Amino acid sequence: MRITNVIKSFDKFTLNIESIDIHEGKIYGIIGPNGCGKTTAMKLMAGLIQPDSGVIDYKGLTPRDITMVLRKPYLLHDTVARNLEYPLKLRKIKPDNRLIEHYLEITGLTDYRNEYALGLSGGEQQKLALARALIFSPKMIFIDEAFSNMDIESVAFFENYILELQKANPITWVIISHQLSNIKRLCEYVFFMCDGEVDASGTTNELLSFPENKTLKQYLQYS
Amino acid sequence: MTAPPSVEGGMVIERGKERIMLMFEMLDRETLGIITLTLRMTLLSTAISAVLGIPLGLWLDRVNFKGKGIVVLINRTLMASPPVVIGLVVYLMLMRNGPLGFMGMLFTLEAMVIAQVLLLTPIICGIVYTASQRNASHIRTFAITMGATKLQTQILLIKELGNEIYFAIITGFGRAMSEVGAIMIVGGNIRYHTRVMTTTISLLRNRGEINQAVFLGVILMLIAFTIQLIAGLLRKRERRTDENY
Repeated sequence: MRITNVIKSFDKFTLNIESIDIHEGKIYGIIGPNGCGKTTAMKLMAGLIQPDSGVIDYKGLTPRDITMVLRKPYLLHDTVARNLEYPLKLRKIKPDNRLIEHYLEITGLTDYRNEYALGLSGGEQQKLALARALIFSPKMIFIDEAFSNMDIESVAFFENYILELQKANPITWVIISHQLSNIKRLCEYVFFMCDGEVDASGTTNELLSFPENKTLKQYLQYS
Repeated sequence: MTAPPSVEGGMVIERGKERIMLMFEMLDRETLGIITLTLRMTLLSTAISAVLGIPLGLWLDRVNFKGKGIVVLINRTLMASPPVVIGLVVYLMLMRNGPLGFMGMLFTLEAMVIAQVLLLTPIICGIVYTASQRNASHIRTFAITMGATKLQTQILLIKELGNEIYFAIITGFGRAMSEVGAIMIVGGNIRYHTRVMTTTISLLRNRGEINQAVFLGVILMLIAFTIQLIAGLLRKRERRTDENY
């Protein structure tokens, strides 16, 4: 995916991205202070909103190849299992019971299979949303603070799960997180955003261990 | 001298039996015709209004245009419009010298349905619009993230807003069932032709036939209750719970 000269304006905020390249099969992180435009940038990349100007070249990816997990995920007014089955049904794929069982197991929701999804806790809802995004094997996945309500054990589990998944079947991930530990463990490249622009970018190690950018240095100080 | 309790109780039961028998006697062919016509009119007008009002409400939430605020305001006004005014408007349209007079629809079931559709559609549209404002954007966003097509998104919207849409339809149905003013004007309350339960109750009260009026009122309530019960059972939706363990 290549983003070139993308501008998106709102009443009091303008996002201006000169250039971002996202390579297939890699894990990217987006960090930055609140209100800097991380989520807006991600929504643009995921095709949820359209830019006022500029080009987003998906390099052959279709909307069905891309998914996004939001911090407060939308869950269907239905059972946990039906939430998992939904993206498969959209693609006219008959839900395989073993597949459903696998994702119920990794999310720890096997016992809640037939429970109403909105009754789950915030962390459980995030796990379910993450599993629901993975179940149809997307080629690109955007994660917007989707670990924020999970307990430490679950976060560690999903970090390992994602890394294992990447070894077996690499897909492209773009992750927004305020937890630098998530970014350090998972991401190969990081974009630092400030005031609607990408202020700095580079490999995770060079950007977070040896920051040169002054704003980034300040941001990392408090993180 | 008062009768012993057992005798008094027996008299009450006897009187109750008599009243029930009287009610069944009242359930003659004409009354059954009135009930059938009421059901036809109510269900037809509710169905048409739902078909018009639900997409309109969803559309109104989705689009942004200059003057949308005015459209919403007009819809809100129509939600509370007095039935007699709507009845009068339909009457003026359908009367012999009116613009649609050539259709010869005045004092027919069709005229009553038209009047009710004009009353019900803004109500259903308004409720669906308000519900959409709260949730539809989240549902649409979710649908995009799942790769849903436009049609799949619309289906999902209707499914996810099911409770609110159900409430809108039931509210519309209640309004249709209880309406008198508009259908009296455009239907004329003609015996064997356009006489429905509410207009009959009104007529019976005017004539002083209170027993029959009460009987029809009870039947009307029973029908409303039965339809609500059936609709509720058909929905069979999982209980929504926001419990957080």
